[in-house]
Amino acid sequence: MLLQAVVTGLAGGVVLGLVALGFTLVAGTLRVLHLAHGDVVVAAVFTGILVVLGRTPVATALSPNHAALFALLVLAAGALLSAAVGWLAVRPHLPDRGRDADVLGWVAGLVAAGLLLREVLALLLPQEAYAVPDPLRLDSLLGSDGVLGLPFGGTLAARVPAVLLIGLLVGLLAERVLVRSRFGKALRAVADDPDAAFLCGVPSRRVVSLAFLAAGLLAGIAGLLYTGDPGRSVGVDDGVLLGLGAVAAALLGGLGSLRGALAGGLAVGVLQALAVQVRPQYGELAPLLLLVVLLAVRPAGLRRA
Amino acid sequence: MSLVDLAQALWLLVAALGLALSVQYAGLPVLGQGAFVAVGGVGTALLGPGGAGWPLGLAAAAAVVTAGVLGHLVALGASRLEGAYLALATWALAWLVYRTLLAFPDTFGGAQGLVRSSPAHLVSPSLGLDLVLTPAAHVVLAGLTCVTVVLVLRRLDRGPGGLDLAALREGPELAASLGVPVAARRRAVLTATAALGGLSGAGTVVLLGLVAPDDVSPLLSLQLFVAVLVGGATRWWGPVLGVALLTVLPYLADTQRARGVVTALLLVLVLVLRRLLARDRQVAAPVRTRAQEVEVRPLTWQPVLLRATGIGASYDGVRALDDVDLVLRAGRVHALIGPNGSGKSTLLRVLAGDLVPDAGTVEVAGTEQPVRTSPQDRVRAGVVRTPQRTVLLPRSTPVRQVEVGARGGSRPRQAVLRHLLATPSSRTAAARARRTVDAALAATRLEDVSAVDPAALTVGEQRLLQVARAVATGASVLLLDEPAAGMTADERATLRSVLRHLAGNGLAVLLVEHDMRLVNAVAERITVLDAGRVIADGSPTAVRDDPRVQTAYLGAPA
Repeated sequence: MLLQAVVTGLAGGVVLGLVALGFTLVAGTLRVLHLAHGDVVVAAVFTGILVVLGRTPVATALSPNHAALFALLVLAAGALLSAAVGWLAVRPHLPDRGRDADVLGWVAGLVAAGLLLREVLALLLPQEAYAVPDPLRLDSLLGSDGVLGLPFGGTLAARVPAVLLIGLLVGLLAERVLVRSRFGKALRAVADDPDAAFLCGVPSRRVVSLAFLAAGLLAGIAGLLYTGDPGRSVGVDDGVLLGLGAVAAALLGGLGSLRGALAGGLAVGVLQALAVQVRPQYGELAPLLLLVVLLAVRPAGLRRA
Repeated sequence: MSLVDLAQALWLLVAALGLALSVQYAGLPVLGQGAFVAVGGVGTALLGPGGAGWPLGLAAAAAVVTAGVLGHLVALGASRLEGAYLALATWALAWLVYRTLLAFPDTFGGAQGLVRSSPAHLVSPSLGLDLVLTPAAHVVLAGLTCVTVVLVLRRLDRGPGGLDLAALREGPELAASLGVPVAARRRAVLTATAALGGLSGAGTVVLLGLVAPDDVSPLLSLQLFVAVLVGGATRWWGPVLGVALLTVLPYLADTQRARGVVTALLLVLVLVLRRLLARDRQVAAPVRTRAQEVEVRPLTWQPVLLRATGIGASYDGVRALDDVDLVLRAGRVHALIGPNGSGKSTLLRVLAGDLVPDAGTVEVAGTEQPVRTSPQDRVRAGVVRTPQRTVLLPRSTPVRQVEVGARGGSRPRQAVLRHLLATPSSRTAAARARRTVDAALAATRLEDVSAVDPAALTVGEQRLLQVARAVATGASVLLLDEPAAGMTADERATLRSVLRHLAGNGLAVLLVEHDMRLVNAVAERITVLDAGRVIADGSPTAVRDDPRVQTAYLGAPA
């Protein structure tokens, strides 16, 4: 039972980790707390659902072509929505030519963007939540019946280790790319001093857009791994809770560290799975409580150096 | 519109006015007022008649206090970070409270919420009182609360509290460097905001006899946020207009979801309007008589005002300062020079209490200072630093900016409360503060531009204003980080005489400067830093002839 909960929690946590990675990327580069990032994840997923499955989807397996289209749509929607949010809601309030960042401005811009994404989706969709077939068909990868036996009894959905594996690979790869590549260096240069970076020939504005684009791509991947869990339907309001869980993960990992964000995601995922064991409704409350307590008690220890 | 609707709108206005204190006056992005409204409402319902059976007044008071305490706790950590973290903390709280209400239907009544009998009776057997709280009674009660809050906010804004708030909203980092206790002020502000939110919730549940999760959801938090953003900074009528908008919202959009879309669109509209409004916003310029010649004097008369011994400091393992000694004497201008990256600004940060050194001690006027300290405490001990970058409070006149300094330096106990009550002592304090401000403006030759828009100041005047703000704190040790940066030759001459004048009045001035002509003209002693170490310390001529200094500046001789 416990092992099952922990492994399931890790799989849920790797999704949080990918969302947290995007949050950290934006926070580290622009000193902006991306309050709408979770909404971008869910909006990307629903873009795929609306286009491929329609407004009243049925939970039958997708054909390979449809699955590929769905995956591509979600990735593209994630990247584009994130870039649009960055461009419209955040960029006008960033520091510019001696003017300080307008914090009230970008906070308001991001909550407006998140609210708009949530409520417009809710207006388009007749139901609050949807059970969606797994676009990646991860349960067919291991074992035909989609269920794995665990030592000490208990079973595990076959997609769980697959989600964990894919998520970790993507997360670690993204972390390496962001640390090593020219793009990663440009990001850090902009983070340190946007004006100096601009003078050194780093196209600051393009880097800002790219940071949102990269965060959105990670959000799309997270969205793909998030959907298709047979035990859970995807709801319009999931985005906020996913986003805030990811923020807790990013803070837990020491905001600013990409590897920390991924590890923090795994920790929050396990916490969430254990909380569900105690009482099902604790699952969504635990990360929120963790975030509020973290911010109240240990802010200095979490501040990026 | 029925009396019930009016009473409900007025209770909502209480929450909006409370939120305005945080958002408009203190510049804090608080996204969780709905959570505090929920705590006040649900708390009153759970504790009062029909719940735990407490008397209604007591239950409501307990719920309001609980909301206030919750606000304080949420701000506890986040108030020490950048303001945006408060947005995160309060937004998470809004969702936590909402989802908690839904997660425990046995306690909170699920989606239907808690139902109580209405109209409620305010009963006190000992006073023989049985008051029926009709909608009309609510209108009076909520209306009086609103008027009181508006009057308090307006009076608050004109006194020492208003200076603190202006500094918080326009330049929190600057405020901290001038001695304003930023984190404590933020906590106080959020506590008051949350308590008023709680009061609003308590009033509403007593009025309607119902509190349901959807009425206090995160959407309410965002709607209140929009409502207070409408008026821009420190306009008391902003929340009134905003709440009026919220009251007509149900007629525009009939479902919760549609209201969400309208709220988001309103938020976007407000953001656009806000930028337009901010563009031609006139700076309120207080008319002020010319400052009389008033002397600036140090707090203490000691020959050695600051002594730093064996200071070591590092960032991320890189050693920035190593075993640095420095002595600043009263009545002297002391220059600190060295190549870029030699540790000058780091040393200033250590002396100003902004960076904890790994090694060494700092004594101010003969008293050793605690290692873990803050800029506020150091200002009170008598040491103040001006930032290297020009930092202005963009919407405050020079007089007001210098007043922030004066307020930061001398913080009489309960000054805000005394001002609100208009005690005689608050008037004496205000007169004393005005003299300090006049003296600082006179000492920095800024009397003529004291009431203009700060954007109209020349670069040199802006740099002098930083000095004036520091002088107004009453500190005896001024740490000036490149005050002449960007100044014209004339302005440098003015700065020279300003520095001589300040030193002549007994202050100790530490001048970080690259302009050697200025340094040689005013400094009696020069300390040279290179790679975090003191390589020379002495009179200008002795330092100029020091071979190590020449190597550091001109490279090794061939």
